[in-house]
Amino acid sequence: MRIIVCMKQVPDPEGPRESFVVNNEEMRVVPQGIPPVLSLFDENALEAALRIKDKNPQDVKVSILSIGKRVSNAVMFKALAAGADELIKVEDSQFMTSRLDSFATATILAKAIENAGDFDLILVGRQAADWNAGQVGIILSGILNIPCVTLAQGVDVNGSTLTVERVLSNGIETVRTHLPAIVMVSNEIGELRYPAMKERREAKKKPVTEWNISDIGLSRIPPARIKLKRLFTPEMAAGNCLYLTDTTLEDAGRKLALLLKADGMI
Amino acid sequence: MSEYSTSVLVYIETEENHEIKDVSLEAIASGKRLVQLSKGKLIALVCGKNISQTVDELKYYDIDTLYFADSPDLEIYQPEHYLPIVLDVYEKEKPTGIIFGNTMVAIDLAPRVALKLDTGLVADCVAIDMESDEFVFTKPVYSSNVMAVYEFQAMPFIVTCRTRSCPPAEKKDQVSGEMIELKIEKDTDANQIEFIERKLNETNGLPLSRANIIVAGGRGMGGKEGFDYLNKLCTALGAALGASRPPCDLDWVPAKAQVGLTGEVVAPSLYIAVGISGSFQHLAGMSDSGKIVAINRDPKANIFKVADYGIVGEFEEVLPGFLKQLNAFN
Repeated sequence: MRIIVCMKQVPDPEGPRESFVVNNEEMRVVPQGIPPVLSLFDENALEAALRIKDKNPQDVKVSILSIGKRVSNAVMFKALAAGADELIKVEDSQFMTSRLDSFATATILAKAIENAGDFDLILVGRQAADWNAGQVGIILSGILNIPCVTLAQGVDVNGSTLTVERVLSNGIETVRTHLPAIVMVSNEIGELRYPAMKERREAKKKPVTEWNISDIGLSRIPPARIKLKRLFTPEMAAGNCLYLTDTTLEDAGRKLALLLKADGMI
Repeated sequence: MSEYSTSVLVYIETEENHEIKDVSLEAIASGKRLVQLSKGKLIALVCGKNISQTVDELKYYDIDTLYFADSPDLEIYQPEHYLPIVLDVYEKEKPTGIIFGNTMVAIDLAPRVALKLDTGLVADCVAIDMESDEFVFTKPVYSSNVMAVYEFQAMPFIVTCRTRSCPPAEKKDQVSGEMIELKIEKDTDANQIEFIERKLNETNGLPLSRANIIVAGGRGMGGKEGFDYLNKLCTALGAALGASRPPCDLDWVPAKAQVGLTGEVVAPSLYIAVGISGSFQHLAGMSDSGKIVAINRDPKANIFKVADYGIVGEFEEVLPGFLKQLNAFN
């Protein structure tokens, strides 16, 4: 069985506000002083894949697929060390965020997947930590004409049957479909495992395939359906925190209640 | 754009008790504003089982044409039942755009609609405006550190609107508009997802989306005992209990308490964050609250950046004084 996990490299989303610099000429956000990391939900997707592999290590192969202007081997190394078997990168200078809406991204991924050989299951994060569009999985399923289950917090494969636990606002539900399929994974599934030293060493020997846009049979980026018009930094009412520094914390607590009462909040 | 009549379709969802979801009332208000700008028609769609009460209620919201589908097959959301209904209404009306509330249902349904209609989708939109006769859509990106403004290259436009990104539509005194009941047909598409079962959490306490005051705890609460204390505060304040992600992952509180980008996005008039450091994930889900109180032992915690009132210290020492004073008011 082969599982393809689509993973994206993003600027560390926990970085301070100043590190996300808007460049409206190039219509992009330039990260400053923060490292690229794996998008969180894509890590959850990889963890889901590895749990399937845990049950049958010999028969399950996990491939990482990542596209971008530049995909850092150092960032993707984490995925290989955690247990993925190979990395496929599609890098091209044309892959500018301003031109890659979800539709264009899914089209490129679909082409890459076509070139990557047979697969049984594709796992993606529920949304990327940078643009939060949350659509690539569904669009990809449309292009590949296979089912897509969203918001997964549990993924289980039995023969050609795929069982998925989905997150609901007030509980969970279980649905079933057939392979091949796509699952969009949510953080409720749990964090990506931490690799041991031995796995980190072995990861360096794992195969990496590097393609550009023409290698996957595309001559240009497919047209986007939504277009970025501009970017701006939102006003932040930050820095206005009134600290209650009474002699004892109990007094501070009491003062807080009085202030909220005076504000008409309680 | 000219081949489309100017009209906007709003997809409406209900709570389990059949009340209209707040985020859907906000979507109606957004839709109304857009059709007023373009002198167009407001269309709405609601689906479910035994929803006659909801349909009656919706007559009071100044909707020009309300479509509804009421069937036992629609008791729970399943894409193969719901998607054809939305597409059917689209075919009948060819609206300029479709607005969803950004709910767990819309996260699944809206991209499927966009895919079928060969168009795009702006998810988690916080503002829709008109610039030189074109609609533009603003959404937070990069952990809410940047706002992106989009326009559509394809039609119709499809958006999901973030909770509390605009005031809800107001109920009118008079009923108005026409109502059309839809017959439902199942999608014959072979890619079917079979529903097996659903396990719902017990619904005790005030839901986050309805609360005026939320008291939320983070990893700093240390365990379930810490949350017992917050529950006492909730009772005293008539507040709902919220949490950041770690307490939910660690099972100190039910998952439904999670506030954040992937939990519930909330904007109560008062948000009291206790032992929450303030990851971007969490801040993106609550920073639009009216007043924010932060209680945390770490003076450098991010949560203080969005707080109006801050107390640096152990919550065990702060909350007794707060609770005593609250009780003194009552």
